[in-house]
Amino acid sequence: MGIPVYLAWLSVVVFIVMVIYRFSKFNSMPLHLRWEIYPLPLEPKHHYGGSYMEELDYVPKPRHHIRINGILDMASEVFLLKKVREYNIYGMWPFSFSMHWGIYLLFVWMILMLAEGVLNLGVIAPVTNVCGIIALIVGTFGSLGLLLKRISNSELANYTVPVDYFNLLFMLSIFATGLISWITTGQYFFDDARAFLAGVVSLQPAAVSSWTVAHFTLFELFLIYMPFSKMLHYIAKYFTIDKVFWDDILNLKGSSIDKKITSQLSGKLTWSAPHIVQGKNWAEQVGIIDGRDIK
Amino acid sequence: MANGRLRIKDISRPGDDPLVFMNMSELMPVPNLGEEPSIEPTPQKFIDKYEMSLDGHCSIGIPKPKTKEEEDHLVRRFLSGLEKLFNSEESWTFQQALRLSFDYCVKCQTCSEACHAYLASGRQEIYRPTYRAEILRRIWKKYFTPEGKLLGRFVGADVDVNWRTVTRLAELGHRCTLCRRCAQRCPMAVDNALIARELRKLFSQELGIAPMEILEKGCVQHLRVGSSTGLNPPGMLDTVAFMEEDIGDRIGKKVKIPIDKKGADILLIHNAGEFLSWPENPEAFAILFEAAGISWTLSSEPVAYDAVNYGLWNDDVELARVAARHTLAAKKLGCKKVMIGECGHATKAYVVIADRVLTGDLSSSEIQRESCLPLLWEIIRSGAIKFDPSRNNFPVTLHDPCNMVRAMGIVKPQRLALKAIAPQFREMTPNSVYNYCCGGGSGYAIIQSFNFPQWRNKAGARMKMHQTLQAFKNELDPNKVPFKYLCAPCSNCKGTIRDAITHYGLWDKYNLNYGGLVELMVNSMVDIDRPFIEYEDFH
Repeated sequence: MGIPVYLAWLSVVVFIVMVIYRFSKFNSMPLHLRWEIYPLPLEPKHHYGGSYMEELDYVPKPRHHIRINGILDMASEVFLLKKVREYNIYGMWPFSFSMHWGIYLLFVWMILMLAEGVLNLGVIAPVTNVCGIIALIVGTFGSLGLLLKRISNSELANYTVPVDYFNLLFMLSIFATGLISWITTGQYFFDDARAFLAGVVSLQPAAVSSWTVAHFTLFELFLIYMPFSKMLHYIAKYFTIDKVFWDDILNLKGSSIDKKITSQLSGKLTWSAPHIVQGKNWAEQVGIIDGRDIK
Repeated sequence: MANGRLRIKDISRPGDDPLVFMNMSELMPVPNLGEEPSIEPTPQKFIDKYEMSLDGHCSIGIPKPKTKEEEDHLVRRFLSGLEKLFNSEESWTFQQALRLSFDYCVKCQTCSEACHAYLASGRQEIYRPTYRAEILRRIWKKYFTPEGKLLGRFVGADVDVNWRTVTRLAELGHRCTLCRRCAQRCPMAVDNALIARELRKLFSQELGIAPMEILEKGCVQHLRVGSSTGLNPPGMLDTVAFMEEDIGDRIGKKVKIPIDKKGADILLIHNAGEFLSWPENPEAFAILFEAAGISWTLSSEPVAYDAVNYGLWNDDVELARVAARHTLAAKKLGCKKVMIGECGHATKAYVVIADRVLTGDLSSSEIQRESCLPLLWEIIRSGAIKFDPSRNNFPVTLHDPCNMVRAMGIVKPQRLALKAIAPQFREMTPNSVYNYCCGGGSGYAIIQSFNFPQWRNKAGARMKMHQTLQAFKNELDPNKVPFKYLCAPCSNCKGTIRDAITHYGLWDKYNLNYGGLVELMVNSMVDIDRPFIEYEDFH
């Protein structure tokens, strides 16, 4: 019974370290060319998709972003899956929405239980229990629904590879073991869950039902696995949205962007097409009309 | 409906048989379109010589390899290009966006219904935005990732690269107009259009493979001769002289077109295709700018009299070369600002994309770069010129060029202008940042080789024709409404629209014409005593 307790600590450490590592890897990628797309929620003219480039002589004019609009827009995607709901024709939204909320609430449930134990907040126990049950029900419904959807719809199946099914099965197994544990042990499930977490905190493994152990062990393995999988997309999404689709910052002489780009232009190219001269850097390439004149 | 029939791995299957071939009965229905030309089968002479096995159409014309060595060469170079595409130094330009789009697509297919070509073709699987991206992803996994080598099919590392894969992928990269409507709808902000663009870059920068009109007769000719049209500097001076004469004939007044005028506020650069196909457009600019008292000039410096920058679609190196020369020409003339005429891709390439190519003394704080649309609205708003909207009293609708609207957020100026000068202006649906591509984006407007125009007209431009006919649905009868105008303030969009209207016979059926914004403005100028638009002329 001790392994899941020690695994819990390991999983949390691996999860945090890997998320930070991945975030910093994404963040340290080279500054890219501008590739924004409209409507751009940070733009004051976002309500009709406009931008500062609609104005004459915009370069020296002051510009500002409305950060709260960006936060609200991103929140509507994270919490409501707005675009899936509006545009997905395969009926994925109810399942995807449920699965995502299952995950959010699962984390909230764990945190609430820890808070109860550590801060002696027994008063919130009913809320904690409801949160846990909702997480398990909607999570099971969502992950099972998505799994069946991907299997049964040939258009989706064409693009779904075994690891995608594995990820969904993994999710399903976490929720389903929790749900089964609750169904089979009733109110004792919550006591078991709290006892398990208390055991984790104190490094004193508690005797709990095997379904509960399975549920928590799978969750711990999920924490370890997730940063290595596509399920880390919530971090990637921050970059694709905020750092690519919403990046409309002008390059001005002497700015930090200017310095970064100037540095990146010093990199040498080895592309092999005839019009490119291998070994010259970006800045040197610009001065050449056609690589064939030099080769 | 071809959905589900085609597998990802089919890209590698042997043989000349195309993976799909568009079928008339599957094309998206278009009300009021009437009779249309049928889809011609692929000419055997093309099949014998070139790669046609993707969909029976061809934009590049890659000769079939004749020996095993040639086959291996293609595969080797493709894989080496793919590796460079994910190298931060070789390909920093879009590395972050590409890498994240590549690794974190959840394949929910939410993007598919956004794609005009996918819908117009009758939802052919091959044109789904995720199809080419998934192929490339699986190849990358198989050949370059530890998990792909270790776990193989389990992680989707299951697409073999043979010469058919390579040549089909080269063509498949040219079945997306890069309009980015799919990206706009993606819940993850995954950009399948960018993946298509980067796939083309791999072919252009590593193998020198690209449609002739885009690379050899596009960028290379632009840099060597001065213009992608082949127009050299003396030819440019002749063109200006011709336009001055033509303006006199059209409006009965003399207008001097400034060229190489030192110290002018604005260096105006047109898509040089306008000089050849629609000279009335740059002429209208000249009339407006003179009447409004704007300090401006054209340039006769090689490269700087042609705004196009075809590197935008497939080649970062060519993009940088052209953008730098545009800016250097402005510096030489002492202009404060470079303004691009009615050309969407040229505007985005220069104003947005090149913003992080041009550094230091070439950056935007030193030489400003703008679209022409805000200035055109300012001319109307300020009252610098008097306009009589009743002269444009015919139905007008607006096509939003993706590059200026979805990619730059220039939405209002052209609308405000049309509302002011065209009393029967109406929007098409959807519009503004949610518009559909004309079908000629990313260079398709200029690709006339092989049988590619058939693909462009049937799959590319079909949605735009559908939208246009819907916008004019109550006025289609040419006897009741003798003239309709599709306003497209973009040279490449106009080229596509011209070909599509011709293909579907919409000028003959409905007197449906097209043109830019400035022509409508000059047509309604109070100081000009005759129409600028030639109502009986379709060209």
